[in-house]
Amino acid sequence: MKKNRLEFWGFVGPAVFAFTLIVVIPLLFGIYYSFTDWNGISSNIKFIGFENYMEVFKDEGFLKSFIFTTKFTIASVITINIIGFSLALLVTRGLKMSNVLRTIFFMPNLIGGLILGFIWQFIFTKAFAALGEATGHSWLLGWLSNTETGFWGLVILMSWQMSGYLMIIYIAALQNIPQELIEASRIDGANAWQRVKHIVFPLVRPAFTVSLFLTLSNSFKLYDQNLSLTGGGPANSTQMLAMNIYNTAFKFNNMGVAQAKAVIFFLVIGGITLSQVYISKKGEVEM
Amino acid sequence: MKKKVFSVFACVLALMLSLTACGSSKDTASDKVNVDVFQFKVETKDALEKAANMYMEKNPNVKINIQTVGGGDDYGAALKSKFASGEEPAIFNIGGPQDMIDWSEKLEDLSTETWVSQAYDGTLAPVTKDEKIYGMPFNQEGYGFIYNKELFKKAGIDPESIKTFADLEKAVKSLDSKKEELGLKSVFAFPAKETWVTGLHLSNVAFSNEFGNVTNAFNAKELEFKYADSLKKLLDLQADYAYMPDGKKASLNSVDYSTQVEELFSLGQVAIIQQGNWAYGSVAGIDEELAANIGMLPMPLEGVKEDSIPVGVPMYWSINNAKSEEIKTASKDFLNWLYTSDEGKDLVINEFKFIPALKGYDADNLQPKDTLAKEIIRYSNEGKTMPWVFMGYPSAWGMDNLGADIQQYVAGDMTWEQLVEDAKATWAKARK
Repeated sequence: MKKNRLEFWGFVGPAVFAFTLIVVIPLLFGIYYSFTDWNGISSNIKFIGFENYMEVFKDEGFLKSFIFTTKFTIASVITINIIGFSLALLVTRGLKMSNVLRTIFFMPNLIGGLILGFIWQFIFTKAFAALGEATGHSWLLGWLSNTETGFWGLVILMSWQMSGYLMIIYIAALQNIPQELIEASRIDGANAWQRVKHIVFPLVRPAFTVSLFLTLSNSFKLYDQNLSLTGGGPANSTQMLAMNIYNTAFKFNNMGVAQAKAVIFFLVIGGITLSQVYISKKGEVEM
Repeated sequence: MKKKVFSVFACVLALMLSLTACGSSKDTASDKVNVDVFQFKVETKDALEKAANMYMEKNPNVKINIQTVGGGDDYGAALKSKFASGEEPAIFNIGGPQDMIDWSEKLEDLSTETWVSQAYDGTLAPVTKDEKIYGMPFNQEGYGFIYNKELFKKAGIDPESIKTFADLEKAVKSLDSKKEELGLKSVFAFPAKETWVTGLHLSNVAFSNEFGNVTNAFNAKELEFKYADSLKKLLDLQADYAYMPDGKKASLNSVDYSTQVEELFSLGQVAIIQQGNWAYGSVAGIDEELAANIGMLPMPLEGVKEDSIPVGVPMYWSINNAKSEEIKTASKDFLNWLYTSDEGKDLVINEFKFIPALKGYDADNLQPKDTLAKEIIRYSNEGKTMPWVFMGYPSAWGMDNLGADIQQYVAGDMTWEQLVEDAKATWAKARK
């Protein structure tokens, strides 16, 4: 038993150590700073209780970002999962091209968010405009200059980037489905839709849990793509939560308020994702 | 037994890895004076490195390390993290009164330096407190309406005659009526996406006249917005005659700096843009010939000050007072050498391509060569300048409040009256 314990801590210890150092301690510091009037520079820091939190609830910009982020998350969770799952179905059908297609679909995920944002900014403002001028479709012009196009621009960008990643997860789940079940259903005369509905869906449910969690938290936390695609503009109307927090901290020099926002942000994301995982886990089918 | 040895080994390895990561990376070997420079001006990175190398050749006991982080907000955030991480630089940049207050604990008093007596009037005011001077001006910059001389000639407009807002309006209308024969998409390019162009530079025309100088702006608890109407006219003139990507005014919000300067202006598709002498490089990079043939019109605030352009100091050099005497002396000496020695002056003009903020750059080889810098010096010599006061706005107010409101105004989601009210309210709130 003693030997076992040593081995246990040998492997777990470093991870716990690193986790404490990189996650737990900064988190505690962050919570502490959310109760102070620190501006990010000065060494004299005053404790001011819940004042920063009151400030946050009075901040309209924060509320607006919150609503925008929530809308964006709902839209992108739906599109990303539908596209990801469809792609997975497509490339597991035994096509000749399927390996090449997998690589292509996965590729955008390897490009960093900032660069992706700039690429799509070029596509939206320049390529769309050229296309619009050539074909006379005026809805293609002036992208990213208002809230709607900024919103859909972000959703398109995010779906393009993350669908390939979810595809990989769904492929793994799809390939785990025993062929006997499919075969049996064929013999029983089930058509393609019935097979997907009654066999494939229930059996890839654990993958849904993971994918929903990933898309939910990633969409909520989005920063780089937001920064490079719209920069929060026009008039801060496409500013998402992470950017709002960053700006409060580094542009308005309000480190304390920014920390309070970050703590609230942390609690909300934690609450939403944990309950999502709990709910979707409950309906999973054991093999 | 073997297993035990392995696990102990794993523990030790993990511990070592994590400790080395936290360990300091100070170089202990050299006995040289290390001067770390943390600066924001990306355009002059190479020139500054060249200057440092020249200085190090003459002063072999000094080692200058230069780190550059790109402009604006990124620099402020990077500087904060630099200080927070304990790797404090010896020389860094601050912007104006707000920065001076924020960083006051870290700033070395520079009032006894030799260059101080050579500074132009007013350039040191933003970094002076209780008669102590905490910053050395980087350079001077100016902006106004940059215009394409060739197009003006073709349209039969004499740029010399444009001295008031009415003159400018007339010229713009005349250009607008001849758009087709001149091959113009429109008269202006108005980058409403860049809130620094609208919220800082454009608004400065009104507020520099309201406050007089940056210190007054910084100390103002309330904003009167005296010249709101004249500012509106100047904004509307630019917005109404600007290139709109989808034909609607709201789409001005997707026009950025590179579309304005590099695409529309440098390709001769618009005749006038509101930009500063820093745009010379962008234009010259695309069309040398055009760059040699551009000039600057005043930014007229109707009925107030109509024939002037805003000229100011964008950033200041500062020295960290927490460093050792040795390092501080070397840092001061380096800056002095760079801006006041003959070699240094040559670098400042011909490599940095700066408009100096210090006197004594009189020799023939020390005159700026690019067209826009020359224009700014001409305005300065004629005394037709107004100060930059936007460094005295509340933190981020200019870009994130006023600039964002201007975007809403351009898109038609906010009236000018609402904008003025909101500007006053947010200013007062920030200064509470």
